[in-house]
Amino acid sequence: MSDIVIDIEDLGKRYALSRRHRPDSLKSWLRSLVRQARTTSPHPSADEEFWALKNVSLQVRQGECLALVGRNGSGKSTLLKILSRIIPPSQGRARVRGRVASLLEVGTGFHPELTGRENIYLNGAMLGCPERDIRRRFDAIVDFSGVERFLDTPVKHYSSGMYVRLAYSVAAHVDADILIIDEVLAVGDGEFQQKCLSHVGTTLASGKSAIVVSHDLALIRLLASHVAWLREGRVCEVGPVESGVLECYSA
Amino acid sequence: MTDSRPAALPARTVLIDGSPQTWRGYWHELCSFHEVTRMLVRRDLIVRFRQTYFGLAWLLFKPLMLMAVTSFAFGFLAGFDRSHAVPYPLIIFCGVIPWYFFSNAVPDGMNSLAGHLHVIQKTYFPRAIIPIAAVAVDAVEFLVAWLLFAFACIWFGYLPGWQIVFFPLFCLQLMVLCTAAGLLLSVVNLRFRDVGNLVPFLLTIGFFVTPGGYTLARIPEQWHSLYALNPLVGIIEGLRWSLLNGMDGFPLKPVLVSLAATLAISLVAGRHFLASEASLVDLA
Repeated sequence: MSDIVIDIEDLGKRYALSRRHRPDSLKSWLRSLVRQARTTSPHPSADEEFWALKNVSLQVRQGECLALVGRNGSGKSTLLKILSRIIPPSQGRARVRGRVASLLEVGTGFHPELTGRENIYLNGAMLGCPERDIRRRFDAIVDFSGVERFLDTPVKHYSSGMYVRLAYSVAAHVDADILIIDEVLAVGDGEFQQKCLSHVGTTLASGKSAIVVSHDLALIRLLASHVAWLREGRVCEVGPVESGVLECYSA
Repeated sequence: MTDSRPAALPARTVLIDGSPQTWRGYWHELCSFHEVTRMLVRRDLIVRFRQTYFGLAWLLFKPLMLMAVTSFAFGFLAGFDRSHAVPYPLIIFCGVIPWYFFSNAVPDGMNSLAGHLHVIQKTYFPRAIIPIAAVAVDAVEFLVAWLLFAFACIWFGYLPGWQIVFFPLFCLQLMVLCTAAGLLLSVVNLRFRDVGNLVPFLLTIGFFVTPGGYTLARIPEQWHSLYALNPLVGIIEGLRWSLLNGMDGFPLKPVLVSLAATLAISLVAGRHFLASEASLVDLA
């Protein structure tokens, strides 16, 4: 039995560049139905499509933390979205083992009219954590966030710092097997960021796995065990964090 | 096969390859996320009545006003059904309570995915939960609104007959119909915003071709088959039959037509939703 928790095989994501292949009104849709019947070419031709990801194969073992680096538009976030099941791949497949907590954005699903307390339960459920588990960890979540005085205030009255701290605290306590993190560790003030970092560190040490996207190389050196460098949607280099991939990338 | 790692390997593996899920698998997943449904419904109910002065009284006030206005327009101005043995407001309640639910639930369901785009772009749970929860919020209002009917029965000293045992079935059918319509339209609405214009317009017309303010008996016999194509006809007349002592006899044809329509819409909605659920974010 292997200990691979994320197995990505030849993954690709294609987008059509022109709107012609993505009709937006009923009229153009109906028209395209007629046209399609005649030309029998529903797929855009090569110069009208764009591969945000192509032939990506990666593996993450249990307890590892894979950092994705690359310039804007290199496909890092697309890869995280596919692994989080937000968008489907156009080719290839990925196998994900265990419960995933995706932190692509802090506070997704927070409702401004609800109190901090109500949002903790709602957000926890959206991240796949049963209510009884949240109830058990409730004090830890509140402690971590440091907003206990405002727990019964609607979050629309929160300062932005309080908001992200509470949101991050929920996400940090849902007890997933795999964390998928997109640049969200940089929330709150310095003290809170320190807290987040050490929390992710402890989570990893307890045998959980993670994929993180970050432009912060110091943070990557601190957290990641492996690094994958993406360029124009392809894996350009991959290896343990000591292997020099980071140095190549930053050079 | 010894595991030296600190934590045991999780057993559940999810395959991500962009292929649509099976009905069974999807049902399973919906069940495992049932708490999200419950919390979204609770959230929307809380938000709907928070910061309102009359609070929960709105639940009864809205259908009551609709009944009063409908009675005035159809009963007093148009002079329909004044001679019936059953108190007129009871007949109207059986029409406007389901209509009010339908006319809210369908647009709410339709707009739900588009309104939660920021959520589905950032987190995964079965997407069907969003339209289902949106319709369920209106379903809660719908069920509470029947209290009005109960009060009216006491007021008029009216006692429903044995047919009332079928009341829950007609309510269930209406909830299934609204959910299916909500699921289907929510996906279509992501891609073609046209339906956002079309549906409210159709609902405005729909009120007049639905026996809310009058009964099926007002429609000439030869038009019944055509008229019954509106699935609400069978449900509303069925509700009247079940709550008003069998009123004008069991409306067999409309009930059968509307059952068939409900089933057909549910199948189409289910298939369409399953086929597009994985790529909803790309559609939008």
